[in-house]
Amino acid sequence: MSFDDPALLAEFVTESREHLADIEGQLLEIESNGADIDVDLVNQVFRAIHSIKGAAGFMGLIRINELAHALENVLGKMRTKELAPNSRIVDVMLKAADALSGLINDIEASNDSDVTHHVELLNEIYESSDVAVHEDEPVAPVVEQVEIAPVEETVEPVQMREEIAPEPVDEEPVVKKPAASKKAAAADHPATSRNASTPQVESSIRVQVGVLDRLMNLAGELVLGRNQLLQTVNNADGNSMQAVAARLDQVTSELQEAIMQTRMQPIGNVFNKFPRVVRDLSAKLGKQCNVVMEGGEVEVDKTIIEAIGDPLTHMVRNSVDHGVEMPDTRAKNKKDPTGTITLRAYHQAGKVRIDICDDGGGIDTRRLKDKAVERGIITKDRASQMSDRDAVWLIFHPGFSTAEKISDVSGRGVGMDVVRTNIEKIGGSVDIESVLGKGTTVQITLPLTLAIIPSMLIRTCGRRFAIPQVNIVELVRVRSSEAAQRISKVKGAHVLRLRGTLLPLVELDRALNFADSEEGLDRKDRPRQIVVVESGQFRYGLVVDEIDDSEEIVVKPLGRHLKSCVCLAGATILGDGHVAPILDVSGIAAKTELRTHEQEDLEDVNLAEVAGAAERQSLLLFTNAPQEMFAVPMSLISRIERIRIDQIDTVGGQELLQYRGTSLPLLSIDRYIKAQARPDMANVHVVVFQIHGREVGLIAADLNDIREVAAEIDGTTFREPGVAGSIVLDDKTIRMIDLYELAFTAHPKWFEDKPTAPVDEERVYNILLVEDSSFFRKQAREYLVSEGFTVVECEDGQHGWETLNHEGHGIDLVITDIEMPRMNGFELTTRIKTDPELSKLPVIALTSLASDEDQHRGAEAGVDDYQIKMDREKVLSAVWRLVAPKQKVRKSVSAKNAKPEGILS
Amino acid sequence: MSSATLKKSAPADLQLATFYVGDLLLSLPIDFVQEINRNLDLTEVPHAPPHVRGVINLRGDVATVIDLRRILGLGAAEVTPQSRNLIVRCGDESIGLWVDRIADIISITPDGITPSPANISGADGRYFKGVYRTDSEIVVILDVDEVLSVE
Repeated sequence: MSFDDPALLAEFVTESREHLADIEGQLLEIESNGADIDVDLVNQVFRAIHSIKGAAGFMGLIRINELAHALENVLGKMRTKELAPNSRIVDVMLKAADALSGLINDIEASNDSDVTHHVELLNEIYESSDVAVHEDEPVAPVVEQVEIAPVEETVEPVQMREEIAPEPVDEEPVVKKPAASKKAAAADHPATSRNASTPQVESSIRVQVGVLDRLMNLAGELVLGRNQLLQTVNNADGNSMQAVAARLDQVTSELQEAIMQTRMQPIGNVFNKFPRVVRDLSAKLGKQCNVVMEGGEVEVDKTIIEAIGDPLTHMVRNSVDHGVEMPDTRAKNKKDPTGTITLRAYHQAGKVRIDICDDGGGIDTRRLKDKAVERGIITKDRASQMSDRDAVWLIFHPGFSTAEKISDVSGRGVGMDVVRTNIEKIGGSVDIESVLGKGTTVQITLPLTLAIIPSMLIRTCGRRFAIPQVNIVELVRVRSSEAAQRISKVKGAHVLRLRGTLLPLVELDRALNFADSEEGLDRKDRPRQIVVVESGQFRYGLVVDEIDDSEEIVVKPLGRHLKSCVCLAGATILGDGHVAPILDVSGIAAKTELRTHEQEDLEDVNLAEVAGAAERQSLLLFTNAPQEMFAVPMSLISRIERIRIDQIDTVGGQELLQYRGTSLPLLSIDRYIKAQARPDMANVHVVVFQIHGREVGLIAADLNDIREVAAEIDGTTFREPGVAGSIVLDDKTIRMIDLYELAFTAHPKWFEDKPTAPVDEERVYNILLVEDSSFFRKQAREYLVSEGFTVVECEDGQHGWETLNHEGHGIDLVITDIEMPRMNGFELTTRIKTDPELSKLPVIALTSLASDEDQHRGAEAGVDDYQIKMDREKVLSAVWRLVAPKQKVRKSVSAKNAKPEGILS
Repeated sequence: MSSATLKKSAPADLQLATFYVGDLLLSLPIDFVQEINRNLDLTEVPHAPPHVRGVINLRGDVATVIDLRRILGLGAAEVTPQSRNLIVRCGDESIGLWVDRIADIISITPDGITPSPANISGADGRYFKGVYRTDSEIVVILDVDEVLSVE
């Protein structure tokens, strides 16, 4: 069919879409209100449908008219409370509304479509409703009836007339009046409509997308102009020019922001369709689900709104399908039979976060692993090593669907990997967390906009590139002197040692095929600029020649001939007019066949295994004289200062640092142990630690690294007062400094008031020391014995437990390590604390890495105190406090570790 | 529906912008040509196909520049003082064609166009729509769509 006025038709389509936009949510609300009809709400829907019907009749769109008419009839009866909505009725209405949208979206063909099925169903409801009326709602509240009375009267005749004479063209003049008077009626009692929970339609203007895009381009060019001007001003100089530039800068930013604002849309636009999705899907699956939506008002760019629709739908469907259990299963597990799916949007650190949570069964990682092994995604060994957290990530693996059988709900070949890829494509990221039996939370992080992004400009081989800031984790400069140490080759690939982890390196010039020399990273004699980048599963260091500046750039798409360039995410125009490609961090990773986190973790596990199950601890590595490396446990260090050598005073042979009004005694390693003298240098570092209630500084000429080390400590070869032992790292022998002994050697006087073994007490205390590392065992024994205790040593928890049961009653206190073979410290503690005979025995747990989680676990097991291994002062004070609580408190007991005595007695 | 085909059916003259790529005198119907510039400050694009010379800043947009010599199988173009970018509009994208030298604009009658031989001076004939003989030279009419469809 043809229409005389295509513009009018287009107008009709736009308007009808607006009318239909909210209808789904409104119908669902009508459904949930049930017999307690919200007349205002029904009126809103009625008016929307009525307008569509009228206009459609006027334009000769007979099918739309027909369907809208049938729908309106049913709504009319609901409005007068002759018909109580239930889910069956609303179901029919929802489907009819869908069909109506379908007709409007394909307006040209609408008259040839068949809607009789929907019309019949609606008419059935309409006609049968006479019976239902009196049962459901015999008497409506009087007040409401009075209020709505005028509206009804004006509308009723319209309906009558329509039924008699359904000739559409006649209708138009009639329609307008009641519609207008209804609006007036609604305005008369705003108090009642205000509290309706249906979201108010925001006052907004309609802007052509083309216009918006043009505005956006203009803003882009303005930004470019500003960049050019800024550069000109920097080269020349002149105050007035600078003022102009500053102003232009400000205006541009504001304009940019304002224009961005026009593109911003509430995320609720996407959220709104989910109640329906969940309702239909849960009905189909026989489940019960509620949807809770929060933060629908959070605004993001329209491009992002468009891009996240599908991934979000997929995840919501997943939550219903795989997450929420069947009602009887839920009841069995003492959960509310109705599951809840929560959609939450909020701003965080300049980004938008969306959480999709369900309170369903969670992800069964064991099943997931089995499936992954079955499909050859991971090996059996890997599966057994995988933590639950890593295992959950398996669902993002390509071709992975957890559904037992393929249904039309999920398992359509489109898996979570596609969701992840799509979200990463727009610069976002996905994370997932799941607790078996409790539920699953998927967290999506999105940028606010895609058009103008902050980025970092870098250079390689004389060419400039931009890296989006969202991908940048940090910038690292490796000095040429450190290069050999920090950059090494593992299995043919370069890695950077960064705070105890190995970070894979990608040489940008090679990744982009620009490399002119063969050596690359194998040449160790020059400094390196490394941009540590992250995207989804990849995290690596990008080796570049120079890091220039950060700049807001306007993203320009690349032409179609360059679509195959996976390393690029587009291009931008710089201040000087040159084009700079924007690097795609995940594209480069894929191109260079970088391994993902998963594989990386696997590697770590292997490395750890090679090193043996030795204890990990964090060490500060430093040199005093070149090539002579020392280490101090990080856990003992209060802070590190960098000072000029001329700040050091010498008073009576003691080096002092005047610092914050007090003087800090300094220790030079070479004065107390066998070591080369520190060379002359302008600046040194001072490692500050606490001994015996005093702050002491250890002079460290050069700091090298902080490493988490699992190596076995050799406690004999280099043992001397002040040196606890040695470890071998990267083929270098490093001596571990014993700060306590060093301080004691330097200043025995400080320790004169140190409590010694109490001779006046009736007996000597017996301590059971359970520790698998012979080094730490030896060290602890030394200081415990020197304090006057008798020490019984055991190599692991099992041995300790046996010993306790053997000679149990002679032991006054247990000091145990946490990580041990056969039986760990937590288990040993739990056994002691649950044993009727031993439960009063105090237990001190020793650890090299005190994490909150460990502390928590320790407290759960019943540990009386928690101490760091190398901190002998605190360990000793804790021992004293626990074995002899009634003795007066010793001097060095720190308030922080004091525990109420009640728990011990 | 290009204007070129429209004019073909009309008896009116067809205006061709002519230019040299190597020894070949090529031409395009003038309506295709958006502009000709000397913006030879190209930014190389890593991993780009060999026939893409790079990208340029075309008044705030990033335009791809195609090396016609590569497409026609004539080897890479050199930068000379005569080198130019011939910017053609293609869909919603502006694309630059790197040419060695710009020649005249000529008016021809469409009747004078004859089918092109399979190979002209070693260049691949599938990119040619036809040839036109002037008094002194042979003008080859380029099939823009075919040239730009190279992936």
